[in-house]
Amino acid sequence: MKFNLVGLIFGAAFGGIVAASNLHEYDTIHAMLRFDEFDVFFLMASSIAVSLPLLWLLERRGVNTPLGGRLALSRSMPEKHHWQGGVLFGVGWAIAGTCPAPALVMLSSGALLSLVAIPGIFVGLRLRERQTAGSLVAGDGEHRETVSV
Amino acid sequence: MFDLLPERLEWYYGGPILGLLIVGLFVVANQPLGASGAYVQTAGLIRRREGTVTWRVWYFVGMFFGGVLVTQVLREGAEIRSGYDSLLNVFPLALVIPMVFAGATLLGYGAAMAGGCTSGHGMCGTAQRSPASAAVTASFMATAIATTFVLRLLTGGDL
Repeated sequence: MKFNLVGLIFGAAFGGIVAASNLHEYDTIHAMLRFDEFDVFFLMASSIAVSLPLLWLLERRGVNTPLGGRLALSRSMPEKHHWQGGVLFGVGWAIAGTCPAPALVMLSSGALLSLVAIPGIFVGLRLRERQTAGSLVAGDGEHRETVSV
Repeated sequence: MFDLLPERLEWYYGGPILGLLIVGLFVVANQPLGASGAYVQTAGLIRRREGTVTWRVWYFVGMFFGGVLVTQVLREGAEIRSGYDSLLNVFPLALVIPMVFAGATLLGYGAAMAGGCTSGHGMCGTAQRSPASAAVTASFMATAIATTFVLRLLTGGDL
């Protein structure tokens, strides 16, 4: 119950920042990938610059979290599926001009073609899941607690 | 509704806030943040698959409502539109729809294969100093930039 509330709050905060930064606009992503403006690169880099040292420190201190036990980061070495997945993701990202979180915010903002993009993302995830028949080696990323993807 | 937020939040606010959200989710729940995982769990819930991680479904719902809060409440309120005006200036709708669908399917497939997307690997995974996340991020950045360049060439610079 508490966990669900945490999910809702962090999801809303994340979606809110995506929206406030206009990451749900095709033009923002396209301008970044065209090197017309570097704001999104800076945004991603600064989020890492803030979180990386803090997480490092918190893990070293062995902080206990209220809902998830001792704080532990997950790291893994690159395997073939990481490179391949990244390559395909990048091509799709550039064509659709959106990725999973911004696609949802597109819908919030009244952009109707998100009704094409969001089902597309679900179809893509499902295709991969069917292909691996639930035996996919879950990457680290955010999928670490899922058995099948 | 209220016109309280600027048209665009500067990256030097948005980036660090996203960074603090990543740290915050670890501090509260020891969990990595990411959007494609939320899609996976939401699909699992709809298909009533066993072992669905419910809080990630709430995260999915939250992202939508966070977007509503900003675009419709804190700003003046966005209108119904396509969201792809730039593409529609170059291609007819009959081509843009399959293009967006194909792109989205490809990125969904790629995210499942890589185990994460722009948020899960690009920011959260890299922040955990995971070499795999760095590899995923490097490869999607490279192909996204290359694909954009090809699109630009094919459209004679219109896109």
